[in-house]
Amino acid sequence: MAQNHGLRILIATVRVPFVNGGAEIHAAGLCRALREAGHQAETIAIPFKWYPPERILDQMLACRLLDLSETLGVAVDRLIGLKFPAYLIPHPRKVIWLLHQHRQAYDLWQHPLSDLHPYPNGDDVRAAIHRADRELIPQALRVFANSRNVAGRLQTFCGVQAVPLYHPPQDAARFYARPAEDFLYFPSRINPSKRQDIVLEGLLQTRSQVKVYFSGPADEPAFERKCVALAQKKGCADRVQWLGPVSEEKKRDLYARSLGVLFPPVDEDYGYITLEAMLAHKPVITCTDSGGPLEFVVNRETGLVCEPAPQALAAAMDELWEDRELARRWGEAGRARYSDLRIDWATVLEKLLA
Amino acid sequence: MRVLILTSGVPFTRGGAEILAESLRDAVCAAGHQAEIVTLPFQSCPPSRVPEQMLACRLLDVTESCGMRIDRVIGLKFPAYLVPHPNKVIWMLHQHRTAYEFWDHPAAGDLIHYPDGQVVREAIHRADCTLLPEAKAIYTLSRNVSDRLRRCSGIDAEPLYNPPANALLFHNGPAGDYLFFPSRINSVKRQWLVIQALALCREPVRVYFAGEADNPAQQAECAKAQRELGLTNQVTWLGVVSEEQKCEWYANSLGVVFPPLDEDYGYVTLEAMLSSKPVITCADSGGPLEFVVHQHTGLVADASPQSLAGAMDALWADRRRAAALGEAGRERYLDLKISWENVVDKLLC
Repeated sequence: MAQNHGLRILIATVRVPFVNGGAEIHAAGLCRALREAGHQAETIAIPFKWYPPERILDQMLACRLLDLSETLGVAVDRLIGLKFPAYLIPHPRKVIWLLHQHRQAYDLWQHPLSDLHPYPNGDDVRAAIHRADRELIPQALRVFANSRNVAGRLQTFCGVQAVPLYHPPQDAARFYARPAEDFLYFPSRINPSKRQDIVLEGLLQTRSQVKVYFSGPADEPAFERKCVALAQKKGCADRVQWLGPVSEEKKRDLYARSLGVLFPPVDEDYGYITLEAMLAHKPVITCTDSGGPLEFVVNRETGLVCEPAPQALAAAMDELWEDRELARRWGEAGRARYSDLRIDWATVLEKLLA
Repeated sequence: MRVLILTSGVPFTRGGAEILAESLRDAVCAAGHQAEIVTLPFQSCPPSRVPEQMLACRLLDVTESCGMRIDRVIGLKFPAYLVPHPNKVIWMLHQHRTAYEFWDHPAAGDLIHYPDGQVVREAIHRADCTLLPEAKAIYTLSRNVSDRLRRCSGIDAEPLYNPPANALLFHNGPAGDYLFFPSRINSVKRQWLVIQALALCREPVRVYFAGEADNPAQQAECAKAQRELGLTNQVTWLGVVSEEQKCEWYANSLGVVFPPLDEDYGYVTLEAMLSSKPVITCADSGGPLEFVVHQHTGLVADASPQSLAGAMDALWADRRRAAALGEAGRERYLDLKISWENVVDKLLC
């Protein structure tokens, strides 16, 4: 018997086969929250491959050709679109909650790692993506974004307004605090966009014997080699620990026992790490160009926002290291700020389903 | 190997095809490979949507992920099995049935009722004939599906049987006072036929139905028929039951009724055999007929309320014979050597 408690809701996203990351955690979290709230929810994940560029056009068209308005004669009450191009799937009651657009066609267009810009047809495909986003995103009933940063990009590049809508990290209720020990913690994929390298260069310039624990999988061998070489330099070696990939439980333990958290990425969309640090009552050091984290870290109230340069990071690390009471106070203020922001799934669902 | 299993699905609907895809994934992983399922949403009405979704499938690119080759694609259902890939193997669960054997079926047919139905039917036939042979190899779920594919599309394919999920959980138990009918509730599974038959039974036969209706209308129709025929005590709707509960309902039944219309394969038959229970099915039930041997492991009735009522009465009246038929069914299952290892070997070779 189809017991129709609540709404029938589909989440539309894309998936790169065999790759799991933040977007998958986000979709799974949303699906779980909808079900716990008594709705029927399922995720539709369209396979996505972005090279060569003409394949993007094919897949945009494929998404436009799908029909999720009803199943076996029963209406689908809501479609929640998360990622390009799945959020282009038409639906009369669509809400978009933009994780990000196809960034290589926008803010990462000229980025050295872009694999759209160098192709002869890159310009044309970029223009088609812009056109589709401009014309089709506003067809949704409402447009939300993962963060103010993502909303800002959509406004800048497409002139489309979106409301930032924050959601909690996975297992938010399981984070806790312990008395600070003698290390700063940097949990993240080891990747150039996360900039472990400038933290290591900063360590060579600190006044105090600041220690940093790094955890997370390395996904770019060349960058990992660079970081390991920096970490082995004189004056650094005994102050750095590479923990590699750690379990969620171990990660929460490291957060809990740290003095503070380092998170200086380049233009992060959102950044669960900031929120996890706040949940663990820890101050966060981030950078002026870090994007998402800047929506949460209040400079000199819940952490420090510094220039993305080794020297500035060194000064920030020294300040936390030398004033434990200040670090503790900022960490507490971060936890209070998290509560004030009402970052919970109930609030998310209220907005998405309004 | 990195293996992608491609299937089509109707959101919010879960049945044999979903279980099969998951079991296949687990079996491929158990053989030491990486496997994932890609389920593309499929909406068959109105017919004009079908060619659009066929095109959508042709537009997808699953040759690589992040620069790494995807070594093998296994296509299960229309239109997902049309997604191109240089190393594609098809294990066909079925074609788009209302364009083929259900085209002019009074209950199951849908395309035929639309002005553009014929055009869409031809487009589907053309796509299957032209694009299925792109695959390196084509297997099917059952002899029944292979026969249809040869008849309708002129393509030969070997049947490849697979065990039901949780095959090891099924067991025999003391036969109780009910026949069991576990299945999604819809017009093609023909719960309605069993209800009509019950009204004609001479014995006080009772049937327990387990499973969810595809939509509220299907459930309402069955309930209405039950009411109108005054079958208060003979019919029990168990709704959705867990796998463990289902095994218990099988174990404690007198026998299993499974009279669907032209079923592709039908796990219910195999689950009944694993539980040492006789199966009542119909002469037009398709897949079950590859397993049920009339008067040896069960009874094959005509697809009429009278004939079905006769078969149900026969099991009810002779419980010892029912037990003997059930035991023979269990032996037949073991003789067929149905295993996932065999399926994975064939699909990945």
